[in-house]
Amino acid sequence: MLRTNLKILFTVAMTLAVFTFIANVIPQVQSAVPEEIEIRADMTPDELVGIGETLYFGVGGCTACHGLGTRAPDILGVAGTVCATRNPGQSCKEYLWESLVSPVSYIVEGFQPIMLDQSRLMSQAELWTLVAFLEAQGGEVTVGPDDFAAAAAADEAALAAAAEPPPTDPSAVDVMGILRVHCLACHAYGGQGAMVGPPLEELTGRSYEEIERGILEPNADTAAGYEPFAGVMPTYYGDQLAPAELEALIQFLMEGGAPGGSTDGSVGDDAPPGEDRP
Amino acid sequence: MNLRRQPIVQAAVVLVAAYVLFEYVIGYGLPLVGVSSAPVPQTVILQYMAIVIVGVLVYFSADEARWKSFMQPVRDTLTLPDRRVPRGLLMVAIPVMAGWMTYQNVRLSFGAPATLRSIHPAPPGEITFRGEPITLTGLENPLRSSGSMEEHIALGRSIYTVNCVPCHGDRMDGEGHFAPAFNPVPADFTSGGVLPQLTESFVFWRIVKGGPGLPTEGTPWDSAMPAWENILEQHEIWATIIYLYEQTGFSPRTWHEAEGEAH
Amino acid sequence: MNSKLSAISRHGWIAWGAAAVAFLAAAPALAQQFTGPEYGEFALFGLDRRGAIWIAAQLHLLFAAFVLGVPMFAVVIEAIGMFGGDQRYDKLAKEFTRLLLVAYSATAIWGAILVFFLSTLYPNFWSYLTGIFAPSMWLYAGLFFFESFTLYLYYYGWDAWKKGIAKKFHWGLGIMLNVWGTAVMFIANGWLTYMMSPPEGVTAETAPPQIELWSAINNATWMPINIHRLLANVVFGGAIVGAYAAYRFLTSKTDDERAHYDWMGYTGNFIAIGALIVLPFAGYWLGREIYEFSQTMGITMMGGFMSWLWIIQAFLIGILFLAGNYYLWVGMGRIPGAERFQPYIKWMLLVLVLGVIVWATPNTMIASRDEIAAMGGTHHPFLGVLGVMSAKNTAVNLMILTTFLSFLMYRRANREPVVAWARAATMLQGLAFAVCALVVLAYGIWGYFVEAIVRIGFSVYQVLAVLVTILFVTALDVLMLRGARSRGTIRWGHMPPRSQYALLVLAVTFTWLMGLMGFARSGIRQHWHVYEVIRDTSEQAFTPALGPAATMISICVALFFGLVGMIFWLGGLSEKSADQPSGATAAGTG
Repeated sequence: MLRTNLKILFTVAMTLAVFTFIANVIPQVQSAVPEEIEIRADMTPDELVGIGETLYFGVGGCTACHGLGTRAPDILGVAGTVCATRNPGQSCKEYLWESLVSPVSYIVEGFQPIMLDQSRLMSQAELWTLVAFLEAQGGEVTVGPDDFAAAAAADEAALAAAAEPPPTDPSAVDVMGILRVHCLACHAYGGQGAMVGPPLEELTGRSYEEIERGILEPNADTAAGYEPFAGVMPTYYGDQLAPAELEALIQFLMEGGAPGGSTDGSVGDDAPPGEDRP
Repeated sequence: MNLRRQPIVQAAVVLVAAYVLFEYVIGYGLPLVGVSSAPVPQTVILQYMAIVIVGVLVYFSADEARWKSFMQPVRDTLTLPDRRVPRGLLMVAIPVMAGWMTYQNVRLSFGAPATLRSIHPAPPGEITFRGEPITLTGLENPLRSSGSMEEHIALGRSIYTVNCVPCHGDRMDGEGHFAPAFNPVPADFTSGGVLPQLTESFVFWRIVKGGPGLPTEGTPWDSAMPAWENILEQHEIWATIIYLYEQTGFSPRTWHEAEGEAH
Repeated sequence: MNSKLSAISRHGWIAWGAAAVAFLAAAPALAQQFTGPEYGEFALFGLDRRGAIWIAAQLHLLFAAFVLGVPMFAVVIEAIGMFGGDQRYDKLAKEFTRLLLVAYSATAIWGAILVFFLSTLYPNFWSYLTGIFAPSMWLYAGLFFFESFTLYLYYYGWDAWKKGIAKKFHWGLGIMLNVWGTAVMFIANGWLTYMMSPPEGVTAETAPPQIELWSAINNATWMPINIHRLLANVVFGGAIVGAYAAYRFLTSKTDDERAHYDWMGYTGNFIAIGALIVLPFAGYWLGREIYEFSQTMGITMMGGFMSWLWIIQAFLIGILFLAGNYYLWVGMGRIPGAERFQPYIKWMLLVLVLGVIVWATPNTMIASRDEIAAMGGTHHPFLGVLGVMSAKNTAVNLMILTTFLSFLMYRRANREPVVAWARAATMLQGLAFAVCALVVLAYGIWGYFVEAIVRIGFSVYQVLAVLVTILFVTALDVLMLRGARSRGTIRWGHMPPRSQYALLVLAVTFTWLMGLMGFARSGIRQHWHVYEVIRDTSEQAFTPALGPAATMISICVALFFGLVGMIFWLGGLSEKSADQPSGATAAGTG
């Protein structure tokens, strides 16, 4: 009787053991929770730095260039101290913000202007956590609630803009907006922008076809004096700009800033809130 | 006693035959007669053999008489006085085998461990394209309902030719000239296991996010597929998808009868 | 390192950033709504909060399945006894109803544990659920009361209402018992399917009172789950009865007892396997509804990180088919005249083994680097053909057909038809089998050449062909065997013990399979309490891999069988005191 009971117990236990064993020997895949990090304005500096760190080593893709020593400066551990000395008149926070959203504005000696505008990859709130993380590399974190309030508004505007259909009427195009988003990272216009490519004022008076070719096939020829930067200009503007936008932009450049909207050529007037604040 | 009628010998013959079939006939025999095949992974052979062993045991124990004659040699070897030598050998051989198997399991090897990589991982419900959110669930190819199909296909062809041919090949069979360098190899679009199994939104997601965008179950993602969102525009990707399906002759997977018929 | 921070979260970030300000502004109002802690702490016996709730829910479900499945069994058996006039059946039905009394308390105890765990460990989520489902919970309690009371009447009135119209009334009570039980299950299914597939339009911001109760209950997966569980409960009831019979058979001391429990085990197994045959049909429906509801959820289930679960499931179902057939084949040894079917067994076994092999062939294979390189991916160029749905559906349908053939042989074994057209009818039956097998194979092969949506339709045709064949052949068989000459009575009780162990393995496998499928059903929600509505923010939000899940399932099943063993033992105990005078001869001769 006891023997039979033990046999029954053994049968049940063995069956369970075999099932458990088989399920355990196959490679184990656990479904992780997607990391969704909440960025709130009332976070402590440490929390912000933590999020920034995750971004820096994660989706931000920063380590692809920074830290290798050849493509971009090694910034870990030093960014928080050198930031204040790079550009006289800019605070550490201002400098770091600028180097994220307009990376080519200041190129560290010995490096090429290859970094992309990070605001196209991350939200403004995310960028501020990166600034906090970089500040923490040897310096003091000064990113605070005010920065996030503005960032949230800017993100909402960006979302709304992404949902809008491209314009079809050249006269309704916000050319200054296009310049700001697409051109001024490299070209100067009206005293703003960078010097990777020739200033856009030089285009005034050229033919429509010539400017169009310069935008759509930018690397067909290179302006004198800019040979080191040959091939840098992206070739995707023909796809990124709607036909109406392209037409308006070319007209604008031909005429040196005549048609539509802001004719005074000032870029700073309607700069987005994220940019003019620091 | 006639060996061929001895159940335990029959069982051994069946097991050996099954092993030869799984290991050699499928792995090496079929390619000789022109059927595409490859060596079967050890894990699968193990699984198959376990099933066959269970089947053999079921057969021989289902009938009382057969079970008795199946067990007879075992019982004899364990009890009869004149079987002392084989019994002793068994008593040595079984622990040695167990020891050998344990050794095989624990010894250091240089091969990478077997990995479980889901070839069709679950797509997220929503992705971003350059920061712009796109809901994948229920998403249809927008180009199928707008513009001229010829133009879409022409655009898709040019994009495929410029960007995809190096890996996926000009015959779309995953045999591009870079392909042999990659593991996993590029997807073979001519295979019935790829395009017809997937919705267009799934294909869109794979092109947009590439290897780096694979979820954990799709890892280890040593997939060399780039994330094309930074290089191609949305409509270009959709056109390429149309071209893929048009060129291979497959229809994308749909989940609604009505739409299924519409294609 | 960070593929996880991929698409979903990217958008989430922007939304969070944008929502941050709005949240701050609204914070005081919201803060009052959620006052208590979000999760309670649990750390006993090495279990965390999820482990505790897992065991409580799984055991409650297993006992609930027991008290739903066994009454179905009891009421059918009572009817057979009542209309067929065989007292053995009546005694069997009563024997089971006695077990139900204890099983009911076990169900209620585990239900209470589950509710306490939910309300103490997941207080916020629990209040969310009660916010939506409160009225249905009251109804649930009321129905449970009626159910228990009907059970008491049913059991204690058994001997009082023995004859004539009173017996019919008593049988009616048994039916009512099942109606209450099914209604209770439907309500509880509404809660859990809401967690899987909340109705459209419900978001994280929707307050519970705004969600209409009926739309929450009648969600996309409610009906499929109801039907699936109803059928599975019949299977489960039969399997548990089989296990009980096997246990009593093995511990019997007299031939009469052995004869009785041998027969009971056969009946339980018959019902379990019979219901198992239609279960895949309900499974397809449920799977389809899940895909319809969310393709992401569907792919997570079938092709995503859970895809390996289906290989384990295939393995378990392979065991079920093999063990079920094995039991029948061993059982033929006690039937005079069954010898003439012996030669067919090896061919049927061959079909089963091939079927299991096809069914267990993984689509994505576990392989080392070298093997993957040789195969050119994780798909095997030749065996890959067997890894897809078409092959698997064909295999399982042929396995069902084979199992049915086993039953038919078992039934025919000791009988010789006397009607003149018996030979023609047998040939017709053979023809029906052949045509059905051809249809199944043809659709299976054709399935490789059509698109997925059509292929899914094919699986329905395949199952239909099998069901039609089963019905047709059974009807013919019943007519043909009318007044058949006996080749000798079945020698009930003359079974080798290993057949009884097969019954035990069947019951354990069924139970474990229920645990596994429950893990699949609830695991595809991943890190959500309510899919894409209420997020699981506890540290156990991740979905465990198969290994840890299997360990938990085994713990639950072991606990369940431990408790069930105690119930069986109690049943035997009360029987000894009650039935002693009348003796064990009631088992009859069979």
